[in-house]
Amino acid sequence: MTCFSQPLRWGLTALVLGLTACSETPESAGFAGLGEQVRGETFAQPARGDRLRFPEDFGPHPRHRIEWWYLTANLTTEQGEPLGLQWTQFRQALEARDPGGPEPEPGTWPLDAAWMAHAAVSFQGQHWFSEKLARGGIGQAGATAEPFEVWLDDWHMRVEDDGRWRLQVSGEGWSYDLRVTIEGEPVAHGGDGFSPKSASGEGSMYFSLVDLAIEGEVTLGGQTFEVSGQGWFDREWSSQFLKAGQQGWDWFALHLESGDKLMMFRLREAGGDFLSGTWVTPEREVIPLGADTMTLEVVEQRDTADGNVPVQWHIHIPGRQADFDVSAPQGQYWNDGLFPYWESPVSVTGSHQGEGYMELTGY
Amino acid sequence: MTVFSALLSHYRRHPLQLLALALMIVLATMLWTGVSHLTDRARASLAQSERAIAGQQELVREDGQSVSVQDFAYLRRQGLCVMPWLEVERPAPEGRVIGVDPFASACFGNEAPGQARVDALNGEPFLDIAEAAEMVRQGSDGQLSLLVPVDVEANAVPAAFRLKDFSMGPATGELGESFLLNLDALGVLVLLITALLVRSVYQLGLVQRRESFALLRRFGVPAARVQVLLLIEMVALTSVCVIPGIWLGRLLAEILGGGFGQVLESLFDAPLYAVAGDGFVLPALVMVSVVLLACFADKRLLLRLPWLSGRQSVLWFGVPVLGLGLAMVAWPFILGWLYVGIALVFVAVGLLTPRVLSHVAQWGVEGAGAITLWQRRELAVLFRRLALPVVALQFAVAMVLAVQALVTTFEDAFEQWLAQRLEAEFYVEVPAQSAVEDGVRYLESLSGLGDWHLVQRGTTRVVPEMAGDDAATSVEVDLFSISPIGPLVTGWTLLDATPDAWEKLAAGQGVMVNEQLARRQEYQPGDPIGFALGEQTLALPVVGVYADYGRPEGEILVAGQILPDTFNTRFQSLSLNPGTLAMAEIEQGLATVWNTDQLTVRDNSSIRSLASEVFDQTFLITRAITVLTLVLAGTSLLVMGWVFFTTRAWYYRLLFVWGLSRREVAGQLRWLAMFLTGAVAVAALPLGVWLTWTLVSRINPLAFGWSLPMAVYPGFWLEMLVLCLAIGLAIAVLMRRQLGAGVAAPAVANVSGGGER
Repeated sequence: MTCFSQPLRWGLTALVLGLTACSETPESAGFAGLGEQVRGETFAQPARGDRLRFPEDFGPHPRHRIEWWYLTANLTTEQGEPLGLQWTQFRQALEARDPGGPEPEPGTWPLDAAWMAHAAVSFQGQHWFSEKLARGGIGQAGATAEPFEVWLDDWHMRVEDDGRWRLQVSGEGWSYDLRVTIEGEPVAHGGDGFSPKSASGEGSMYFSLVDLAIEGEVTLGGQTFEVSGQGWFDREWSSQFLKAGQQGWDWFALHLESGDKLMMFRLREAGGDFLSGTWVTPEREVIPLGADTMTLEVVEQRDTADGNVPVQWHIHIPGRQADFDVSAPQGQYWNDGLFPYWESPVSVTGSHQGEGYMELTGY
Repeated sequence: MTVFSALLSHYRRHPLQLLALALMIVLATMLWTGVSHLTDRARASLAQSERAIAGQQELVREDGQSVSVQDFAYLRRQGLCVMPWLEVERPAPEGRVIGVDPFASACFGNEAPGQARVDALNGEPFLDIAEAAEMVRQGSDGQLSLLVPVDVEANAVPAAFRLKDFSMGPATGELGESFLLNLDALGVLVLLITALLVRSVYQLGLVQRRESFALLRRFGVPAARVQVLLLIEMVALTSVCVIPGIWLGRLLAEILGGGFGQVLESLFDAPLYAVAGDGFVLPALVMVSVVLLACFADKRLLLRLPWLSGRQSVLWFGVPVLGLGLAMVAWPFILGWLYVGIALVFVAVGLLTPRVLSHVAQWGVEGAGAITLWQRRELAVLFRRLALPVVALQFAVAMVLAVQALVTTFEDAFEQWLAQRLEAEFYVEVPAQSAVEDGVRYLESLSGLGDWHLVQRGTTRVVPEMAGDDAATSVEVDLFSISPIGPLVTGWTLLDATPDAWEKLAAGQGVMVNEQLARRQEYQPGDPIGFALGEQTLALPVVGVYADYGRPEGEILVAGQILPDTFNTRFQSLSLNPGTLAMAEIEQGLATVWNTDQLTVRDNSSIRSLASEVFDQTFLITRAITVLTLVLAGTSLLVMGWVFFTTRAWYYRLLFVWGLSRREVAGQLRWLAMFLTGAVAVAALPLGVWLTWTLVSRINPLAFGWSLPMAVYPGFWLEMLVLCLAIGLAIAVLMRRQLGAGVAAPAVANVSGGGER
């Protein structure tokens, strides 16, 4: 889910309007202001009963305020060393617009939306991260559903003639160029695509591609590695993502060796955390998980440059006979952008073995 | 009781003397720290000012069309760091604003042009580009540029685009460097003044402790041991005093500089004051070293030069050194030679001034009445006994005079320099591949147009040896051509010229050269100069030398009519005043005849006012340095003068015995004190004028090849004199209170060294 669009809200909007950013974020607005209440009624808010539509939902949703495209990959080099990789592109609308309505004239340098992209590589205990920013409506950044393409400057994810996606990113001293083969159908979270984020109804539209075969090249400090492995792709959009008082989240996307897939998140709040998830069987049966069907506990914290971070977790889902630990490798995996957050590959040990990604915010 | 505690017991008996010494070290540290802090800030301010208006790079289309938002998006998608820059001109009072995209400038990091950062979008002058675009939509003139970082190279640019210099204003080049070099020289001078102040108070302290030393010696303590203990005492005292001194100096600098900060920030929203890395260790080490050198260097150095003491010896040593120093400065070979010369002059002046003043004080005293005789002899004693603080104030006043003249001269030069480059109101670049003649014909056809001329620039080779056109000895210089030669240039101040220089230039019967070329090749008006123009070589007389501040290159100015068709013109522009016409109309006309919609037009007045505002702030900081120096040097003299006059209070009381009334005694003291400080101001005047001349006419030409005009400011001299007299008056007022405070024992006066007659 990589719930990150509100950093845009507080970061980029602040950038543009010359306001201060997180220091003035009300505490009740949660991490990076994600719980800020939507002012006005112009943005559409997802609700239970909304349905996913393909391929349109791979493209932008200009009536919604926040959305993102997100990919993580657990890869190995030819030498068999694990390498984790992330790419995320966010759109933060400042004004709602009907999808079929006239687009703003680029010559006016419109400011109806701001875009941000993050990319990171984790390898041998080191973490490389880069961030890019752009205003919407002028062609510098954008997304289209058909043909599928998401871009910001020279970073892009787009469909190639052979039907595979190509993801090209370059940071300072590092880059990657990957080809992504999509297997399987999109997985709708929350049953039909509406993923609640609180008991009071805030939530988002959310689906994932959980079977991605990835290969390509990663260059780090002048050394190029041939890599291959599996990945996870998320699409999520909303206008009111968190409810007031929610401070941040812990999110996991796991590939289990049994062939099962698990997406699970916890939103932290004073009155009791909100827990939710989706279990995907090897036959690709999608099973929504409610808070009463699972437990998530911190096993170990790590003292890092930006504070204590829970790096080992215990997940127990009795209904799926799942009882395992999820651990981040040694190292520090902060994405030090406008709003720092933790993004690391993880390994799974216990009743199940596997790998995946973990995102922690608000620490 | 140990020897050390016995030594220190003097201060227990005379705590005010310890306080005076500590106060002087604190004041001296404060002076040097404050000045060096302000100098650093001036340096940082100048550097940032230059960065703010320094040249950048932009990308333009090869086909001559204006760049657009689509070009911006295309270039960004090619991976280039490009930021849009939309300049919008609005009628006064709104003026110019610049639309930038903070998202796009992020990739420039801290080098974003004009410090166009996120938190600067308040319309002064930066705002979000969408707002600027809206102003353009509503009718304001706007021009979009696409800026790229200066390190982007041509081979990284997509084929349909090319790199081009982009400037928000003229780069200051060496003008700024020269300014900084002079500031450094003044920093050294301040350190010297600091050392003099410390030494003066230390010596006064030694005299006051003479009895203590004699007592210790009688108890068998060797003089060397006393010396070591004194050294330890000074190290300890200095170590304690420099900390508050540094802190106070910075505080004072903050107060003096703080007022300007907000003004500066409003220009580019840039913290033009930030000076990182302010530590205590370095200034503390410098100050401890200076104090120790000032107090103890003579033990090792001057003792080996016994002939330096005594009136005749000082004259025999001082006068030749002064002559040597003046000669070295007058005919310097290299910069280092020049600095040695300056140092010699200061040493000689420091040695001679008290003696000369003392001598002058007693001049013509024969046959005078008793009171006058006493007055003049007392003044002579004061000059000798207060030699160090007198010299310190003399140096300080001289430095203040020099800095004031330097800053004012720089300001004038800067204004002149701007005026030379931005004479016309507007400046229109001739687009590449456009026929300049079409534009010229169009301008000639306009009625109501103000003054204008065509500027063409290129390079040429000067052949120093006229006889043989030997390429091996030729030098490449810039060629600057103007046609017609009109009022926009004839107002330039020429450094040297033949009669009717402009007329000869206009007729193609001569050329002018800039000061750099004239100095380098030793051209005088009337000298012939040979240079290549296209395929031909011309030989014409030099008819004038013009000041061309801040550029290293030599340049020849010629009339446009002598340029042959084969001359490779690198750059062409039209400088014009629109007169009764609207500039928009002229722009439209030129765009039409050149068949382009991309016309680069610069409003020179706005650039000039912007640049002036930025640099004014730098000069204000420099002025703060002079104020600080003067205040602290003046305070030091006040303290020293008061302390010294106090030691002689017993003698002044004898005036009552002679029958003078209290009022008459006070008058005598007032005369003495004011004459003393007034004489210091007068003695500082020639040194200040000489120092100014050295800075602008010697250091600059040697360092950069061009000089600044020398100017003197008698009004400011008068201000300095009044200030010095005020210090004297303050001493007299304090002394008057002292005399009324009870009878001082003669023993105190003797111990304090006031017994000399």
